[in-house]
Amino acid sequence: MPDIPIERHRLDNGLRVFLSHDDSAPIVAVNLWYDVGSKHEKPGRTGFAHLFEHMMFQGSEHVAKGEHFTLVQQAGGTLNASTWLDRTNYFETLPSHELELGLWLESDRLASLLPAMTQEKLDNQREVVKNERRWSVDNQPYGTWDERIQAQLFPEGHTYHHPTIGSMEDLDAASLEDVGEFFATYYAPNNAVLTVAGDFDRDAALAMIERHFGPIPANDDLPPPPDMSIPPLIGQALREEVPDRVPLPRIYVAYRMPIFGTDPFDDLSVAGDVLAVGRASRLYSRLVRERKVAQDVSVFPFPIVGGASMFTLWATAKPGVGADQLEKSLLAEIDQLAAEGPTAAELERIGNLHAAAVESSLERIAERADRLSMYACLFDEPERINTEVDRYRAVDAERVRQAMAETLRPDNRLVLTYVPAEAPAEEAA
Amino acid sequence: MPTTVNPLRPVAGAPRPYHFPDFHRTRLPNGLTVWTVPVPSAAVVNVHLLVDAGAAAEDEARGGVAALTAQLLVTGTRRLDAGAFAEATERLGIEVSSESSWDSARAAFQSLPEHADDGIALLAEMIREPRLDESEFDRLKAERLADILQARADPGRLADEMFLRHVFDAQTPYRRLSAGTPETVEALTLDHVRSFQASHWGPGTAHLIVGGPVEHDTVLQAAERHLGDWAGTGPGHRTFAPAAGGSRRLVIVDRPGSVQSELRVGHLGIERQSPRYFPALVLGAILGGVFGSRLNLRLREELGYTYGARAGFDPRRAPGPFSAAAAVQTEVTVDALREMVELLTRARDAAPEQSELSEVRDYLVGVFPLRFETTGGVAMAMEPVAVYGLADDYWHTYRQHLEAVGPEDILSAARDLLMPDQFLMLAVGDASKIREPLEAAGLGPMEVTAVD
Repeated sequence: MPDIPIERHRLDNGLRVFLSHDDSAPIVAVNLWYDVGSKHEKPGRTGFAHLFEHMMFQGSEHVAKGEHFTLVQQAGGTLNASTWLDRTNYFETLPSHELELGLWLESDRLASLLPAMTQEKLDNQREVVKNERRWSVDNQPYGTWDERIQAQLFPEGHTYHHPTIGSMEDLDAASLEDVGEFFATYYAPNNAVLTVAGDFDRDAALAMIERHFGPIPANDDLPPPPDMSIPPLIGQALREEVPDRVPLPRIYVAYRMPIFGTDPFDDLSVAGDVLAVGRASRLYSRLVRERKVAQDVSVFPFPIVGGASMFTLWATAKPGVGADQLEKSLLAEIDQLAAEGPTAAELERIGNLHAAAVESSLERIAERADRLSMYACLFDEPERINTEVDRYRAVDAERVRQAMAETLRPDNRLVLTYVPAEAPAEEAA
Repeated sequence: MPTTVNPLRPVAGAPRPYHFPDFHRTRLPNGLTVWTVPVPSAAVVNVHLLVDAGAAAEDEARGGVAALTAQLLVTGTRRLDAGAFAEATERLGIEVSSESSWDSARAAFQSLPEHADDGIALLAEMIREPRLDESEFDRLKAERLADILQARADPGRLADEMFLRHVFDAQTPYRRLSAGTPETVEALTLDHVRSFQASHWGPGTAHLIVGGPVEHDTVLQAAERHLGDWAGTGPGHRTFAPAAGGSRRLVIVDRPGSVQSELRVGHLGIERQSPRYFPALVLGAILGGVFGSRLNLRLREELGYTYGARAGFDPRRAPGPFSAAAAVQTEVTVDALREMVELLTRARDAAPEQSELSEVRDYLVGVFPLRFETTGGVAMAMEPVAVYGLADDYWHTYRQHLEAVGPEDILSAARDLLMPDQFLMLAVGDASKIREPLEAAGLGPMEVTAVD
């Protein structure tokens, strides 16, 4: 079980700070999670949280466009950012003597982004993001799967209904005023957590954090979190068939599920791993290896916290195997596991795979910092980084059976099927 | 707007030195070379077994046999069938991988330290007493054929495959994917795999690399116990001299309905042992290897044509390709392609400013300790030392080699290694929209093809 040290601080402006020391290599990670994601977007502005994230690299009062990247890279660091349904994160990994550079860059854009914003930069990044959407969604086989599942599992009005990447028309509508308003609303120290992990001097690091972030004022009018409440079950069986430019059919099975961080989420994660992680998993053994009806199988429970989450499982058909046949085989395996529960050997197998995977991920201090920020931002409980493995191991057969019976039901299920299109797919708007 | 009280970039502290870990190496009497890279603070162990059984070691008529052999190894041993082998390894928290590239094949796993010895025992059983049965062979062959179909539906993967096909001449093995073509894979039989495995998977060309919280003595003992009496010497790989597929030309691969064009520009590059390796590495980074590279700044940050553009050399035992790549919206295909060609061509005109060179070189030097943060990264770093016979102090002197690259070295590398009159320009996109404008642009003789 991991034993990651965690030290907690809080600046007067509300910024929550977490330090995790490890000097085995001369490198340090800076990681910020802002409690804002695509679920905070307004109607007509889908995709904005992510577009805004791009604007955070377009310079701030003391940093020129693109300089954030070049300064970090020239220092021998790596960096990036990402936006998802619940949150936006920004991160740098640096040689440890350049820690202050990372803190300064992050603080400068939090303190003074807007003076650097121009219409030209916005127009440029709007085009970049539209190309990101074309590349990852519109021009990609099966590329619309997650946005279709979200749209079906969450009704209109619920802000998980739309995808983080947004729609082309909403991206076109985004304005500089939107940038200013979004920044003023959500980019405040009391809406963020900052984690520093790796090789640093504790007192020096705290002084730097205070120096750079301390003067940034809080937003005393943070909006209340959006109302994400939603019934636990869909209440009906849903189906969608999508003709796409794909050679092989693929079935996605998706259920509305309890949110990340709850016991039933862990129970269903275990169920998913028993079904589809590793060559000894049920779906791989039976559908891929023995009956040869599937080319591959995958599972992904979304680690999201807004009212409900999504349990998704998918398989690609072998050539000559119909979508119907594959769907029947998939659902039969889910039903069988739900009825009998996992065996002790199965729980041991995935428990050990999970423990090894966690240790392996935590080798990277950037990953350590990101998980600390995640658990702090979502649950105010960074200590979960050390209890994750035990929580997972504590799941027993009875819990799996019960969670599957409550959640993986026909009246809570979407079956999304991609089939090879006769003619080329229509061009996206 | 409030501002921070610190308008200036902070001054960096004193760097803490980083040294690539020392390794130990012992050759066993049967030829197996055992490498240990102790990383005392690591939480996991990485074990890589490399064999000279990549695609360069196969007959051209049997293209893909090396890849299929590597993949088939994880489907069990004489003692354990595919399901039982998966159970035995995964119960230890281990997922064994086995795959091949052009220059080698690798069977590997990562585990918690307490399971490493059992893992090595299972890995040894897998390569010494493989099951290689008909049913698993048929399955993996069918999966490989289906994967080729899937890859060709993905515009980026399709562009990569088509680029190789056109950039090399018909006699160069590198013109196909190392895992084979539908035609060569279709023709493979279980006997081909059995015979390739028997002849090429032997200790004579093999390296066992172990990184993690381990001692060389312990690793050696495990290697002797499980692999010490492994017998056989492999014939090794073929040698060949890659040749270009033609002079400057443009190929459109029609993909109707595409909303982007996947662009590639390039030609023959360098071999891994080239004396130009370091200048080429830095040149590739300046052109398209970092966020602030010329291609990315121009195509993304100035023009907004793409989510990202990249470029670089892919050195192998024999000269591999140089390529630049970007996916751009259909409407700007011609402009983007012209920008790419001009930008690459202009690199031959003048040496980079010292500031641009420093930016890239400082990154490559400074990021060094980050690359070896994981035991997987450390084990991976030993592979080219083992496979290509790089100097033992290769990683210890790596940063000095980079620092020695000056502006004139970059200019000379650009003049010798970038050849605009040899450019293959390739676009995977909707020919009904891009064909005419590309023809009118007059970038070079043009050919339009469809996917097989």
